[in-house]
Amino acid sequence: MNSISPSAAQYTGGVMQDELVDSRRQQHMERQSKATGEPDEVDKLKAKLMSAWNNVKYGWTVKSKTSFNKISPVTVLGHSYLLNSEDEVERFHLAFVSRVWLTYRKEFPQLEGSTLTTDCGWGCMLRSGQMLLAQGLLVHLMPRDWTWPDAQQLTDVDFEVFRPRSPARAVGVPILSFGSPRGSNTPERSLPSDNVPRRSQWTRPECARDRQAEPIHHRLVTWFGDQPPAPFGVHQLVEIGKSSGKKAGDWYGPSIVAHILRKAVATASVVHNLAVYVAQDCTVYKEDVVRLCDLSLSETPAERSSQAWKSVIILVPVRLGGEALNPSYVECVKNILKLECCIGIIGGKPKHSLFFIGFQDEQLLYLDPHYCQPVVDVTQDNFSLESFHCSSPKKMPFSRMDPSCTIGFYAKNKKDFESLCSTVSEALSSKEKYPIFTFVDGQGQDYGLECHSSNHSGSAAHILPSGKLGRSNNRRNSDEFVFL
Amino acid sequence: MPPFERTAPQNKPFKQRKSFATRRQEVAGIRAKFPNKIPVIIERYEREKYLPPLDKTKFLVPHELTMAQFVTIIRNRMALLPTQAFYLLVNKTGLASMSLTMAQVYKDHQDEDGFLYMTYASQEMFGH
Repeated sequence: MNSISPSAAQYTGGVMQDELVDSRRQQHMERQSKATGEPDEVDKLKAKLMSAWNNVKYGWTVKSKTSFNKISPVTVLGHSYLLNSEDEVERFHLAFVSRVWLTYRKEFPQLEGSTLTTDCGWGCMLRSGQMLLAQGLLVHLMPRDWTWPDAQQLTDVDFEVFRPRSPARAVGVPILSFGSPRGSNTPERSLPSDNVPRRSQWTRPECARDRQAEPIHHRLVTWFGDQPPAPFGVHQLVEIGKSSGKKAGDWYGPSIVAHILRKAVATASVVHNLAVYVAQDCTVYKEDVVRLCDLSLSETPAERSSQAWKSVIILVPVRLGGEALNPSYVECVKNILKLECCIGIIGGKPKHSLFFIGFQDEQLLYLDPHYCQPVVDVTQDNFSLESFHCSSPKKMPFSRMDPSCTIGFYAKNKKDFESLCSTVSEALSSKEKYPIFTFVDGQGQDYGLECHSSNHSGSAAHILPSGKLGRSNNRRNSDEFVFL
Repeated sequence: MPPFERTAPQNKPFKQRKSFATRRQEVAGIRAKFPNKIPVIIERYEREKYLPPLDKTKFLVPHELTMAQFVTIIRNRMALLPTQAFYLLVNKTGLASMSLTMAQVYKDHQDEDGFLYMTYASQEMFGH
């Protein structure tokens, strides 16, 4: 049953009520063991229950429709859509559904060094990272503004403009009918009453071109297959993560995943001419990117002889606040998502990873990896792509965004990279006095503090005892100034 | 009150360990002695699980030191790998640009008591 459509009934189908209760309890125990930091051995039964639980949970979310108003544009990775016409809705639909959606999978070959055959309940950040990389690869390999010719219809969405006369509104949906020039009681289009826009009748000129690119699309998805040889599959990513002290079943963070992706691309033989750069300490050192991309500086003679420049995915791990997102960064995140060079943001709600690809008003638009699907054998010719694309867009308020995230960008060539530096800097500097990250000339090591750090290491003379500074008679070690 | 004593005083935030008057006096004393240095308090984010605690909380930092250099010093003190996530949040909320000097950050964000407060944190993990 590879072909899925996210309908709530299907998610709950076949799951007995008491199984649900069990799985809920299981989930609770999981959480507790996580909280106490105990190692957890998820056996097969547990995995099964977990996956059932996840899908029920996901099913509950899906039941509620996501509504989009027609007054504010929806931004999806650098493109904006004002959903007040059928054409614009169709363009938004294609833009959303064409993104590669990677979710939890079950019944895949056992992960090495563990008994796990699923990433359900732990691998969501890896999945978000895969989606970010997949988006980078789409931009890298597919025709400009490519859309998937076989994109499914959108489900569980509510578009203002298509609402028929006296609609049954979902609770909490704002009534925004005043924008209609014909008055709120007149349906603006004669459309089927199910609220789902039909596929537009017009054919886009790019259609033939996009159809021709289908084999590349297919191949790209196979790289994310859940089999050990797949270069960007969960097996490979977990393997790479071991050098960062992670193992199958662990939780991952957006920064660790950025480095895992960097190593995965560096070692993959399937993608040529692409490198991944990960910023450190919220700084992109331009010279380091140049050294990564400019093949004339390469150490291998074959590459050096070429004048070529590698395309680059730039990943910037950040922390936009302490416990919660600092509200002053919201504008900045929006500005970034408006840029065409942005390939998305991996982050999420606390503990719950999501792949952010856009926003409308004060809500982020995302792809959710928390739907556990059966594994698809991508080695089969003509495997179905349907479970790798999502037809139900979801939104969440910026205020719930976890401050930890990694922002992704893509530059095809040198010129692209230079314009990326200036457009991103501009997007970052507007209003906010301190940008969330910066581009600087030179290499990271130029800014490193070899002299300072070696100077102060082990030099007790630089520590002033606090006793000399007043009445404090407390001789605690920590109460001394460290002199830099 | 032994149980109270056992919650090592260092684990409480600096501001709770000392009264405003004491902190102010401390700043006045150190500023008089070293007018070219900025008094900075560095504390671990209370929910931090991955980064080690720092052995010291009070730092005297030259005006012209950049945030990048400062971060490098703290990273080295903790012996972190370059790829390990480490963020210094000014007043627990904002990231300061790495190119800023400590004097600039101090000018905008110093506390009423005269210290500059920074919190360090890595990144959160995600799993369900």
